[in-house]
Amino acid sequence: MKKYLCSLFCVLGAVGMLAAEPGFGTREYRLTVMGEYSYNKTWGHHGNLDVQSLLPFNDYFEMEAKVQLSSANVYSGALQFRPKFELPVGEMFIETDLYYRAVVRNQLGDLTAALGVGYRMDYVSVTLGMYGRVFDDWKRDWHTNDTYVVEPFNLLYRVEVFCRPQDTNWNLSFLFSNIDDYQMERMWQPLFGVGAWCDLGDNWRLVFGAQCKPTGMFHLDATFYGATFRTGFTYRF
Amino acid sequence: MKDMKKIFYIAVAVVLAACANDDTVLDMKGMFSPQGETVNVRFQQSKTYNDSVGDIHLNMQADDYVIYVCTDSHITKKAHRNLDYFVAQYDAANGPKMALHLGDLIDAQKNYACADSILHIGTRTQADTLFITPGNHDIYFKQWSVYRSFFKSSAYWFDTRNGNKKLDLFICLDSAEGSLGTEQTKWLKDLLAEKSQEGYRHIIVFTHTHLWKLDSSQGHTSNYALEETYELTYTLAKYGVEYVWSGHQHARQHVTFQGVQYMVLDATKDDEKGQHYMTVAMGDEINYAYFAYPQL
Repeated sequence: MKKYLCSLFCVLGAVGMLAAEPGFGTREYRLTVMGEYSYNKTWGHHGNLDVQSLLPFNDYFEMEAKVQLSSANVYSGALQFRPKFELPVGEMFIETDLYYRAVVRNQLGDLTAALGVGYRMDYVSVTLGMYGRVFDDWKRDWHTNDTYVVEPFNLLYRVEVFCRPQDTNWNLSFLFSNIDDYQMERMWQPLFGVGAWCDLGDNWRLVFGAQCKPTGMFHLDATFYGATFRTGFTYRF
Repeated sequence: MKDMKKIFYIAVAVVLAACANDDTVLDMKGMFSPQGETVNVRFQQSKTYNDSVGDIHLNMQADDYVIYVCTDSHITKKAHRNLDYFVAQYDAANGPKMALHLGDLIDAQKNYACADSILHIGTRTQADTLFITPGNHDIYFKQWSVYRSFFKSSAYWFDTRNGNKKLDLFICLDSAEGSLGTEQTKWLKDLLAEKSQEGYRHIIVFTHTHLWKLDSSQGHTSNYALEETYELTYTLAKYGVEYVWSGHQHARQHVTFQGVQYMVLDATKDDEKGQHYMTVAMGDEINYAYFAYPQL
């Protein structure tokens, strides 16, 4: 296993040597508010309101808190704690995530907890880890054993490729992952995304994002399932 | 380094095996876009057929009867020993009975004729009936038209009766591409809303794709999207579905959530570990048992 990890870091390091530019990673607080239009075959057309904050406590630790309110009667929250270590090239971080989705329309909760290792450079960010999930029935009967379902070990992966270094004033990125800001899908249910930002002065940033979720990719009969488009502003200070 | 090479070759082989058919034609396109009819089209064609033949009521002539259930036989022209055994056991059983196959009857293209020679699809009578739901292997690589020519419909319902007395309701769902689609989901909700008021003893749903991912034993097979998992489990619980039988995972699993029992069966595929089929004694209570296939 160590050999494979070493090989992985060698490859990432080599890519980083080619791709990275100095100055990656700035320490700043961020508050983001976004509006989303979303569609999927189960919930139909719906809108979401996202509020996200990034709190860098010091050079080695940052925290993110995220809330999403959806007109599909689903409410999601996420807490992410991220110890990080500056490397000669890029930055390594440990991803510890706690997501909760209150699916009011279906009277159940979806709690996921993840632990992963990440490495980010100017042009690439990669995270790999594991997560566990508990589906919780709100109308639980304590006298039966049917109150929750545990899915203990799922693979978490996230690969984002940027067109420009991350400390520039605009950027475009492409994302392949089974997680996003508010959900952790099963490992065989990938999400494809595009993201972009453009700085409007020193403090304000305009952000865009789009995401597509197919189903049945590993049934070898993939079809479109859902898509999300989001835009909003980030205030940095 | 040798180990890395070995893993790389195994990974390539797994992907190729997953994507190859009998003619070993690689069809990676199915991972990114539908190569045949989508679930909404299959559902509409099934509904048209269902409407043309009317409702199916099986007169079991008794309150108690037995269901033989198997899944994931993945037969090829050379490998169908376990399915042969399953059919022989079923045919030899006395008393009122029926059989369900939960999908992935065949492994790849050009095996439906072989399946027909084992199951005698066209000659089974109403009291001696095999019901089947499509799996991903049954319909991918544009095989829906062949499946349809044999089994006519991928989403339907039927009930069992003793004379005029209603016994149990069975609903077959097409989840062959990991989603029920919009039309079938609406049909399921409407059907359950109507039928759950009709006093059935038990309501049972059977489909190929399982809802939960408790472990990684199913290899590279996928489930439903999360949103669909939430909605489907809620709908099934809301209308009093008692059991959901499925396959796809090739490993037994039994989960109870919101009062619904989700059972995933072992595979019937030859030469696979833990091959079993299930018999279900239907009465006022439901009792099930697993039987191992004989090993060579």
